[in-house]
Amino acid sequence: MRWILSFLLLGLLAVVQAASSSGNKLLVVLEELAEKSKYSKYLGDLEARGFEITFESPKSDKVALFELGARAYDHLLILPAKSKGLGPQLTPKLLLDFINAGGNILLTLSSSTPTQSALISLLLELDIHLPTDRTALVVDHFNYDTISAAEQHDVVLLPRPDAVRSDLKNFFKGAGKGGEAIAFPRGVGQTLGNNSPLLTPLLRAPRTAYSYNPKDDVEGVEDPFAVGQQLSLITTMQARNSARFTVIGSSEMLEDAWFGAKVQRSQGLSGAAASKEIKTSNQEFAKEVTGWTFNEIGVLKVGKIEHHLNEGEAADQVINPKIYRVKNDITYKIELSEYQWDRWVAFNPEAGDDLQLEFSMLSPFHRLPLKLIYTTTNSTIWTTSFKAPDQHGIFNFKVNYKRPFLSNIEEKNTVTVRHFAHDEWPRSWVISGAWPWISGIAVTVVGWTAFVALWLWSKPVPLKLTTSGKKVV
Amino acid sequence: MSDTVAEPFLKGNTGRNTRGILRLSILVLIAAAAIASRLFSVILDPWFNFRATKYLVSHGFYDFWDWFDDRTWHPLGRVTGGTLYPGLMVTSGAIYHALRALTIPVDIRNICVLLAPGFSGLTAFATYLFTNEMSTSPSAGLLAAAFMGIAPGYISRSVAGSYDNEAIAIFLLVYTFYLWIKAVKLGSAMWGALCALFYGYMVSAWGGYVFITNLIPLHVFVLVCMGRFSPRIYVSYCTWYSLGTLASMQIPFVGFLPIRSSEHMSALGVFGLLQLVGFVEFVRSGVPSKQFATLLRGFVLLVFTVAFGGLVLLTVSGVIAPWTGRFYSLWDTGYAKIHIPIIASVSEHQPTAWPAYFFDLNLLIWLFPAGVYLCFQSLADEQVFVVVYSILASYFSGVMVRLMLTLTPIVCVAAALALSSLLDTYLSVKSPEVPVEAGPDGTNGTPTPSKKAAKQDGLRSMRLPIVGIYTTFSKVSVVSALTAYLLIFVLHCTWVTSNAYSSPSVVLASRMPDGSQHIIDDYREAYQWLRQNTKDDAKIMSWWDYGYQIGGMADRPTLVDNNTWNNTHIATVGKAMSSREEVSYEIMRQHEVDYVLVVFGGLLGYSGDDINKFLWMVRIAEGIWPEEVKERDFFTDRGEYRVDDGATETMKNSLMYKMSYYNYCTLFPPGQCQDRVRGVKLPDVGPTLNTVEEAFTSENWIIRIFKVKDLDNAGRDHASASSFDRGNKKKKTIKKRGPKVLRVE
Repeated sequence: MRWILSFLLLGLLAVVQAASSSGNKLLVVLEELAEKSKYSKYLGDLEARGFEITFESPKSDKVALFELGARAYDHLLILPAKSKGLGPQLTPKLLLDFINAGGNILLTLSSSTPTQSALISLLLELDIHLPTDRTALVVDHFNYDTISAAEQHDVVLLPRPDAVRSDLKNFFKGAGKGGEAIAFPRGVGQTLGNNSPLLTPLLRAPRTAYSYNPKDDVEGVEDPFAVGQQLSLITTMQARNSARFTVIGSSEMLEDAWFGAKVQRSQGLSGAAASKEIKTSNQEFAKEVTGWTFNEIGVLKVGKIEHHLNEGEAADQVINPKIYRVKNDITYKIELSEYQWDRWVAFNPEAGDDLQLEFSMLSPFHRLPLKLIYTTTNSTIWTTSFKAPDQHGIFNFKVNYKRPFLSNIEEKNTVTVRHFAHDEWPRSWVISGAWPWISGIAVTVVGWTAFVALWLWSKPVPLKLTTSGKKVV
Repeated sequence: MSDTVAEPFLKGNTGRNTRGILRLSILVLIAAAAIASRLFSVILDPWFNFRATKYLVSHGFYDFWDWFDDRTWHPLGRVTGGTLYPGLMVTSGAIYHALRALTIPVDIRNICVLLAPGFSGLTAFATYLFTNEMSTSPSAGLLAAAFMGIAPGYISRSVAGSYDNEAIAIFLLVYTFYLWIKAVKLGSAMWGALCALFYGYMVSAWGGYVFITNLIPLHVFVLVCMGRFSPRIYVSYCTWYSLGTLASMQIPFVGFLPIRSSEHMSALGVFGLLQLVGFVEFVRSGVPSKQFATLLRGFVLLVFTVAFGGLVLLTVSGVIAPWTGRFYSLWDTGYAKIHIPIIASVSEHQPTAWPAYFFDLNLLIWLFPAGVYLCFQSLADEQVFVVVYSILASYFSGVMVRLMLTLTPIVCVAAALALSSLLDTYLSVKSPEVPVEAGPDGTNGTPTPSKKAAKQDGLRSMRLPIVGIYTTFSKVSVVSALTAYLLIFVLHCTWVTSNAYSSPSVVLASRMPDGSQHIIDDYREAYQWLRQNTKDDAKIMSWWDYGYQIGGMADRPTLVDNNTWNNTHIATVGKAMSSREEVSYEIMRQHEVDYVLVVFGGLLGYSGDDINKFLWMVRIAEGIWPEEVKERDFFTDRGEYRVDDGATETMKNSLMYKMSYYNYCTLFPPGQCQDRVRGVKLPDVGPTLNTVEEAFTSENWIIRIFKVKDLDNAGRDHASASSFDRGNKKKKTIKKRGPKVLRVE
């Protein structure tokens, strides 16, 4: 198990470097450098985690995301800007190219500054929709902060989000104690389309929230943009190349003012009395959301993949052969690690979630759960054994593990499965059904030889002919 | 065989030797001419056979036998060892190793290139032997050999570099027939066994062995029906059938076909019939004739009922393979077109047009009936064979262009019989009593009139008295006319060979306005591009015509190739080509296609392009998915196949159409976009492609290669992704009255 040792070494190296698993060059786009101070705690956290932060104004010439065709930064944080446009370096196409090149983007919105049309069209491409009224914000008359928004009800207090499904990891639950409050002040709610499987709402509005434009001077909202859980406050999109894109509806929640501010929840829907004052969990939550976006958590890595024959012969020693035969017994192994803030650890899926291996040609011939056999300090090794199908062709070992909030694993190893060679069939005398035929052949051979021998060694009787020509014996 | 040559002092033993040497040198010259006339231009084709030979040479015979080729028919792969006729490769391999053993280092490629011309020399020799069995005139054999050497019908499949099964199969065909005639004449088990041996070789070399499998039983059957059953026939046929069938079953591709498929049933039937006839003959010798007649009648009736019932029962129960499509299309030319588009789509399987006979055989085709007629004059067993062969091959050659090849030998033989008999008659210098022998080879110039000694042979004197030609004028005129014909024949053969059969399909030649030759080398350019710019295991999808070339010249895995054994897989490619992009994309993803290659002749006026073959793709796909692909949709309401403005929507949206015409109109000034093959003007706005992107287009646009895009990284469909890339902003969904579309998890 030398390779596990070398893995250990690599893991140790990672500890020294810390920060994200995919580089630490971060570009923060904000309009004026002075605004930096508003986010000093948040940015300080990022720097403390090892990010090299570059600040640029969207209008600056140096904001280029690509340099000589290669990605210039690993991550991009866009803070709201007041200007109408974002300049020629931050067009939706370039932003999308940035994602396609593997860069991560954290986009923050704010209801006080209208979102630029470049961003809106980028979001539209990704099937994320913003309210048509650019100043619309999310209000909730049952979950607001009574200290800061007693009148407006536009600071929504939320608990930590639950996992999307029970068999998925929840990276955003904090300590998991509950009773925490995340302040979402004056944020923009988004709705998500149904078509893209890559979208996952990270934080949803409470059931009683709705999107509302304070500038509309009407009494009641007739046709709100979206209500309740349909409003996503923080939306994530993980592209097929595992590049991450997160939209935070409220940039204000990252400001120093809300990191550790005291809030008090209003009277709830159930009529329960307002809770007592508590500190917001915005700082920890922001760290988790940012950490996820910038590949610090939820990143999976495939280590070694091994497949070999499993027939108890010398051939088993050959690792990753290019060719198998139909009906061979095959063992497949895959090693997985998960990145956690600053190091690789052993990956273990949530209970109820399975890793699966497909052995497929055009369609899967086998789809088998992978079993955990071994755990090292920073990886888990999964395996399964099976018999190759009775079908020759070019097959793929496929591990296709795609879960919300975990980076995609799509491993494909191609092998050829050949037919039986002419000398791999059982010999005829082993098959009992062939015995009558074999004995038939033997009888014919012996009979013919005997006949020939008889013919050759029998002395011809001299012919005696009668006068009429008839033969006389 | 006891004629003399011109010089009177060469009589007796010396004369025989001189004749032998002359005959030998003439044969060698004929072989040399046969080889030389096949060397006009050399391009190795088909590439698969060459690839297989290389594999055989480098991996050895057993690995070749068990070869699983994972670079064709992706992702099914091909059990190559079990699905090919190995004779060709094994022959070249054997020659290669023999030469190596003789310390002559030869590249296997050179052997492959020169195999067909080399074997054509042998074919000429085999034809000589075969014809000599038919005729007592020695000139017939030499004439037949010469004809065989240069007949375009055979050259078409045996020019240098044409490394196909037919390269050796025609030699084997003729030689097997020669051995068969020998066996029948002598009634010898040894010649029968030799015949079976070469039959086995033939089976290992070409699927056309079925022709022998049916012709020999037919010959025997005709002989039996003519009342010519004899122990000679019994011995030779039974030896040939039992040994030959065993030999043929050793080829994995043939396997148990000889006892299951209907194509082989006639041989089995005649084998059974011979046993019955032999038994009846035996009984006849022991039973008085009156009782024998009754016995025979009952016996025949019983046998017929049992045999017919058995046949029906076996066919119905599926023990005997159902009558295959290729078989039906032999009898009914319309069958394939209706039922099996894959067979009909091959141009070689089209019915022969009548000018093809004249083109391929020229002079021989009108000497042929005369030769067959002459066979009736002395209708021995072997002459019956010529007659049977002529009839059968004539019919089959009319069904399929490709079978012209099997007709050619017998045409050469029959024509040589006719011509030699003419020359024998007209070349006698003086006396009508003494026939005169021809110059052995009319093609070698004006034959010198030669005197001929009286026949020593009894046979000729047994014939009817020869009615001779008396006037010199008629002799000279007929002989000179024949000489002229033969010269013209040689000219024709040379012309056909150099113009029609030596232009390889990979390199096209055209004439510039000033008459100089211009080589269009797009195919090789494209294959070279693939070889140098794509991953080693990039899967290329193209129509099957180009499969072998891509596999050989570009060395990339292909989805389908010229070995059309899997109709469904070919139909899949046909469906991908003829469906909308979105449908095709799913198919291409599933088959892991990386590149799509199309052939487009619109710019150059190259008519053999994919748009012209497109209907076959549609038909073949329709055969498997009649619900999804409909040929009718590719025709306009008026039933026209159009590619211009008036093309149907289905046509315009098909992947093949889009790929062919993608960006094509940017070559022309607006409004002048022209397709030079179809001769139509194209709309100015060409098709857009979303799921594939152009990767390569060759110099003359003949080959266009498109790369299949990956799924969109951001999860959009390709149409909207490429619309975004073109700079179109997505329209915000217009708010409508009505229920909102909610997101469901």
